[in-house]
Amino acid sequence: MSPAEQAALQERIALAKAGNAEAWGELYREYAPAIFRFCRRAMPTREDAEDATMDIFIKVRQKLSQYDATRSFSAWLYAVAANHCWDLLRRRKLRQNLETGDVENMPLEHPDPGQLEKLVEHRTSQEVRRALDKLPARSRMALVLRYYSDMSYDDIAETLGVRRTFVGVVLLRARHQLREILEGQRSASLAAGGAA
Amino acid sequence: MIHFDEMACLLYLEGQLDPARSRELAAHVEECASCRDLLHALQHETIFLSSALTEDNEPMPARLIAGQTRSLPYWVWTLAFGAFAAGAYWFWIDGIGPWLDQLSNAGFGGTDMFSMILFSGAFWEGWSDMIDAMQIGALILLAIVAIAWIRRRLRRSVAVAVVMSALLFALALPQGASAADVRRGRAVLIPAGEVVHNDLIVAGPSVKIDGTVEGDLIAFTRNLTVTGHVTGDVIAFAGEIVIDGIVDGNVRVFSRSAVLQGNVGKNVTAFGNSVDLVSRANVGGGMIVFAAEAELDGKMQRDLLGMIGRTDLDGVIGGQAWLRGGNLTVGSTAEIRGPAMFEGPQQPVVESGAKLASPIQIEITQDVRRNRRSTARVVFRAIFSYVAALLVGILLLVIFPGFFRAVLRETAAIGLSIGVGSLALLCGIFLVIAGVLLLIFGAGAGVAGVLAYAPILYVAQVFVGAWLGNKIMGEPQAVTNAVIGRMAVGLLILHIARLIPVFGGLVGLATLLWGTGAVLLGFYRMSRVESAPSAPLAV
Repeated sequence: MSPAEQAALQERIALAKAGNAEAWGELYREYAPAIFRFCRRAMPTREDAEDATMDIFIKVRQKLSQYDATRSFSAWLYAVAANHCWDLLRRRKLRQNLETGDVENMPLEHPDPGQLEKLVEHRTSQEVRRALDKLPARSRMALVLRYYSDMSYDDIAETLGVRRTFVGVVLLRARHQLREILEGQRSASLAAGGAA
Repeated sequence: MIHFDEMACLLYLEGQLDPARSRELAAHVEECASCRDLLHALQHETIFLSSALTEDNEPMPARLIAGQTRSLPYWVWTLAFGAFAAGAYWFWIDGIGPWLDQLSNAGFGGTDMFSMILFSGAFWEGWSDMIDAMQIGALILLAIVAIAWIRRRLRRSVAVAVVMSALLFALALPQGASAADVRRGRAVLIPAGEVVHNDLIVAGPSVKIDGTVEGDLIAFTRNLTVTGHVTGDVIAFAGEIVIDGIVDGNVRVFSRSAVLQGNVGKNVTAFGNSVDLVSRANVGGGMIVFAAEAELDGKMQRDLLGMIGRTDLDGVIGGQAWLRGGNLTVGSTAEIRGPAMFEGPQQPVVESGAKLASPIQIEITQDVRRNRRSTARVVFRAIFSYVAALLVGILLLVIFPGFFRAVLRETAAIGLSIGVGSLALLCGIFLVIAGVLLLIFGAGAGVAGVLAYAPILYVAQVFVGAWLGNKIMGEPQAVTNAVIGRMAVGLLILHIARLIPVFGGLVGLATLLWGTGAVLLGFYRMSRVESAPSAPLAV
């Protein structure tokens, strides 16, 4: 973002803080699509994502006075969104056994780079998104925070309530889980093709 | 050569490895093809992941584009508040106010009055006025707003805990029935000389109390005869009741015929076909009677409040009398020591010799005027009912869009919804009966149980209306206004259809079964979605 754009954004934020509905509307129009997409990736259903987006913007409007202008607005927005979604998921107890102790101690198989390249080549974005939806909530949230929101390890650790040093482990395990699901889909589609 | 593991490679790519180790890894991959390949594969995977996640694959929903906040337009809140205020005012003026006045005039107050309202509530004529769609609508509006408020502020577990605690509290409010002495049998007899040092609950075809009950007597029977002494209250559901002994407390009876010929220390509340207060009977307090016919030859120290088809009064009323019904005959031996009021279609007959503190205030209800009033009332009620239902539907759609859509989807499965609705209605009838019975053990629990079911029955029409509107005007895209328009059309058709005699009743019943089933299925599906994180995305 250029300095001029940054200044314009800060001005809009200041106006919105002061209660200017038009400035708030502009902020909303600019950021709502990205936040909706974030919620769509993080939450299990489209309805949940819509509700969460609405709630996040209500929260953001209420908390706008707490926003520190020295920080990136979009990073702050994602932090609010991430906390809201994670809180919702936590409350729903979507975290399952896969996320707890046993799995955390499970050794990870060293990947074959060739196989991994093949997997990346043959899978579509849509298949990845579907596979993402089958992940346990914490793994999914970790991937979304890192690879959608580009959130720092510190922020991810704070949002998920884990130690910073553990974030890499969570991400790596999430990627392994995702690969397993994609491999399963691939085997299933190959089997179906063979049967046909 | 020592290779770097996948974790180190990932941290390196993510810029999370410390500088010394980063340099080490960079130098290593220059020479090691295996680690270089892994690093490249991970890098490709990262790019692939980022691109799959950030891809703009579906448009923003219309309601998110339209609204920057969830707040409703001001006119909806104004209308909702107006509807609520009107409903509350109406409820008070038509429902509670007259009751309080009458009870106050009759000299009843405090907890006694509260219990009488609850006991008499289920049989009170005024319910037909009170259960007005507008009032229910207004109350449901309040409930929806309250639920939305709770949903926002409380964690689900806390909310559930609060509700469960409230229910338990409601159940625990009355005195524990478990402490009572319970007796069952074909003929339950407490013989003369036997003393029950506790509350007594009896059930069986025939119950006779010749002895003493030091507490309350609660009876479910065909024939109840009390010739002994009950130091507490008598609460009875029976075919025929004869109270010939002494009751120190209140008598609350629901029976086809009730004959009171003994002494009652406090008040009498009687519902039934016939109520007979024989000449030697004496009631220490007042009487509330709802009956087809009543012969009141005995004496009551305080007031009489009655909705009675035919009343023969030959006894003594120590206070005021307020009667509403078909006929009133005040015999020559009758005495009313306070003001008296009668409301009915005919002039009361007052025989000479009757002692009245003042002439009976009479209000004759005119049939013609009544008919005109009732026609206007039907039209107004239909309009209000439609507006209230639409308003509730709009609020449901705006505040709980996910739930609305889930239920609407279920409404399309007509057979299944009607099946579930029928089953639920059977359970509902059971619930109502249980609720009325619970009045004995805990009024709060009974009322809460019945009230919890009422909103589901009420919102049934909203979903059937929305489904009907969709069928007529076509499925809308996810645009709230279009959904509201279709719901308005569907509800209008339903409400007009309900005005047609017989057919309207059938439409109402079908709507109730269908919509209730859909709502319950919607709840079920929503709960399944929440507990199934691996449900595939509808991309």
